[in-house]
Amino acid sequence: MLTVSACAGGGSSSSTSAPAAKASSSANAGAITSPVTITFDEVYDSGTLKTAMQSAIKNFETANPKITVNLVTYANYGALLTAETAAVSAGKAPTVGQAYESWAEKFATSKVILPISSLPGASSTMPTDMSSFYTGVQNDLKLSDGQVWMWPFDKSLQVLFYNGTMLKADGISSPPTTWTQFATDLKTASKNGVTGITIDPGNATEGVTSGEEWLEELAAANGTQVYTSSGTPQFTTPAVESAMQYLVNLKKEGALAIGTNYPGETALGAKKALVDLSSSAGYYYEQQTVGGKFPLTTTILPSGSSGSPDEMAGANLVVFASATSEQQAAAWKLLQYLAGPAEQAAWSAATGYYPVTSAALTEPSMATYLKQNPWVSTTVTGLNNAIFDPPYAWVTQCGIDLSTALSATLSGTSVSSALSTAQSACTTAQSQASS
Amino acid sequence: MIRTRGPAKARDFRHTKKGWLYSAPAVLIFSAFIIGPTIYTFYVSLWNWNVLNPSLSVYKGLSNYKDLFKATDPSFAQSLWNSLYFTAAMIIAGTVLSLCLALLLQRGGGLMNASRLAIYLPNATPLIATSIIWSWIYNPQFGVANWVLHSLHLPTSPWVEGQATAMPAVILFSLWHELGFLTIIFLGGLTIINDEYGEAARVDGAGPWQEFWHITWPQLRPVTYFVIIITTITSLQSFTQFYQLSGGGPNNATTTLSYLVFEESQVLQNTGYAAAVAVVLFLITVFITLVRRRTTPAIT
Repeated sequence: MLTVSACAGGGSSSSTSAPAAKASSSANAGAITSPVTITFDEVYDSGTLKTAMQSAIKNFETANPKITVNLVTYANYGALLTAETAAVSAGKAPTVGQAYESWAEKFATSKVILPISSLPGASSTMPTDMSSFYTGVQNDLKLSDGQVWMWPFDKSLQVLFYNGTMLKADGISSPPTTWTQFATDLKTASKNGVTGITIDPGNATEGVTSGEEWLEELAAANGTQVYTSSGTPQFTTPAVESAMQYLVNLKKEGALAIGTNYPGETALGAKKALVDLSSSAGYYYEQQTVGGKFPLTTTILPSGSSGSPDEMAGANLVVFASATSEQQAAAWKLLQYLAGPAEQAAWSAATGYYPVTSAALTEPSMATYLKQNPWVSTTVTGLNNAIFDPPYAWVTQCGIDLSTALSATLSGTSVSSALSTAQSACTTAQSQASS
Repeated sequence: MIRTRGPAKARDFRHTKKGWLYSAPAVLIFSAFIIGPTIYTFYVSLWNWNVLNPSLSVYKGLSNYKDLFKATDPSFAQSLWNSLYFTAAMIIAGTVLSLCLALLLQRGGGLMNASRLAIYLPNATPLIATSIIWSWIYNPQFGVANWVLHSLHLPTSPWVEGQATAMPAVILFSLWHELGFLTIIFLGGLTIINDEYGEAARVDGAGPWQEFWHITWPQLRPVTYFVIIITTITSLQSFTQFYQLSGGGPNNATTTLSYLVFEESQVLQNTGYAAAVAVVLFLITVFITLVRRRTTPAIT
C-alpha cells in the first residue's frame, strides 16, 4: 500500500502515470515528445518575488511549449514543508518543490525524492552545469551520501543595511570592517531612542532567523562553526560561547534589541536603528521600508579572527519520486532553466538574490542592477566560501535549540547554561536520528 | 366518556431503530473526524513514524512515552507546567472577571447595554487576526502597550519577548478575547436565578456582598462549574495565540502541550513523539471531563 502511495503520481500529465522505477529507463534522454504538466511548490507569494517567479515560469513555458508548469505558492517555508509532507503522504506529491538541506535529507532517506543524476537527460549535462556554480553552491547540493539530490535556484548571503545619514551624524566615516569595531559603532549610535541593531532570535514558529544566523557567523568568525561537517553540534566550544557573549554584551549596553516579524527592518525604516542585518534578498524590502527617508548603505559582514564567514541562505529544488518519466524530464529542463545564466540574471536583478553562477553577471539583464548596486559584484563571490548548515535532518531541531539558547541568554539566562542545554538537546536529536 | 389528555409520555429513542437512524449522521461524522483520528493517533504514538513513507516506520512500543521524561529542550514537564499555568490563570481570572462583568451588566441602563456589545466583540473576532494585531501592540520598541506605559511614566515591559513576562502577556490577550463569551454565560445564569431569595435577604437586612455571597453565587454554582470546565478544556487546547504571539518562546516560556504537539509534528516531523504528547493531552482532558461529570450539580 505504501509503495503504491509513493508512486501515485505528482501533478497531472497527459500521459498515464507510470511507476517511477520504470520511468528513468524508458525516457529518451529527456526528450519531451508530448504535452506534460508539472507542479512546482514554492514560497514566492508577494511583491517582486511573486511577479519575478511568474515571469520566469512564463518565459520557461514559452521556450518549452510542450511543458505546462502549475505554480503552487505557499506563504512561508513552514507552510511549504507542511504542504509537501502532507502531499507526499497523500500520494499527491508535487513534481518539483523547494527544500532546505535538512528537509532534503529526510526526503531522500524516506525515498520520496530522486537524485538529480537519475533524471532523464541529466547525467550527461549535469557535471558541466554544476561546474559553473560558485563552489559553496556546488557543495550545498549534496547530501550525506555524497550524491547531488538538490539543484540551486535562489541563494543569498547576509549583508548589513546601514542608515547612511546616521552613520555620518555619529561620526562614523565608513562602515566597520571588524566585529569589534561594529560593536563600538552600535554603542555609539544607541542614544535618543535609537538602538544600534534589532534582531529576531527565532523560534519554532518562525524557524531559523537572521539573529540565529548571526550567532553562527560570529562563531565561525571566532574560528569554530556551530556544527562539524558531519552535523555534530559544537555549541559549548569557546568560539560559540564568545559569540553568544558578544550579543549579550550588546544587549546589556542597550545597543541590541529583540523582536519578531523582521524587527530589524522595521527599526531601520523607523530611524530607530543604525543598521539591519539581513539577507541580500531583503534588498527591495529594505528599500521599501526606508522609503527614501535616508540613503541605504549596504556592506558585507565585518571580520573576526578567522575572517568574515557568511551563511548562505535560500532553499534548493528537489524532484519528487512519484513523477512520471515525462514529468521528470520536464522537471530537469525546468531546473536547468532556472539555474541558467539568463534566468539567474533576471531573477537576481528583480529580487536581490545572488546569482548561483558567475556567468549571470555578464548577462545584459543584470547590467543596470549591478550599476545601481555595485556592492553585489564584490559580495557575490562570498558564495564560493560561504558557510551553510550540514544536510542532516536533526539540524532543523538543533537550529531551534540554538534559537532558544539565544533568546534565553538575551532574557537573562547564563551563556554557558543556555548553550549547554542546546548542546544536550541537539546531541539527543542527533543520536535518535542516527539510531 | 370524556377522554382527557394526560401529560405526554416522553419517548426514549435511544433504544429504538429510529433513534439510531436519527443519530447516524452525527455518529458517522464524529467517528470519521474525532474517534477514528484519536484511535489512529494512539496507534502512531507507538511508532517512530515516518510520515513521508510509513513503510519505513519502526515500532517502538511505549518508548515515545518514556521519551517524554527524557526530552530537555523543551522538557515535557516544562510544557505541562506551562499548560497548567495558563489554564489556572484563565480559570481564576476568567471566572472572576466575567462574573464581575456579568453582575455589572445585569444592572442594565444605556451604558451597560452598550458595554455588552463591546465586551463580547473581541470573542467574535478571529483569534489569528487579533493575535497578529496584538503582536504589534506588544512590540517592545514600537508597540502601543509600551507607549501607554511610557506616557504614564511607568516602566516599560518586554511583553512576549521577556522570559518572565511572555506568559502573562499571552494570558492578558487571551482574557481580552475570551471574557465576552464567559460573561454571556454568567449573564444567562443570572437571568434564571430566583429573585425571591434576594428580596427576602434584603428585607432581612442583608447587604449587597452578603446577598451575592449567600444568595446569588450559590445559585450560580452550576453555571460557574460549566465556565470552569469549558475554560479548562479550551485553555488546555489553546494554540493560536502561542503560535502567533510568542512562538513558544522565549526560552520555551510559552511552549504548552498543544504548541509542543505542533512543533514536534509539523516542524520537526517527530510524528510518533508528537502523537504521544497528544495522547497525554487527550488523557488529561478526559480526566478533567470525568471529574466534571462526577462533581457538577445539575442545572435546575
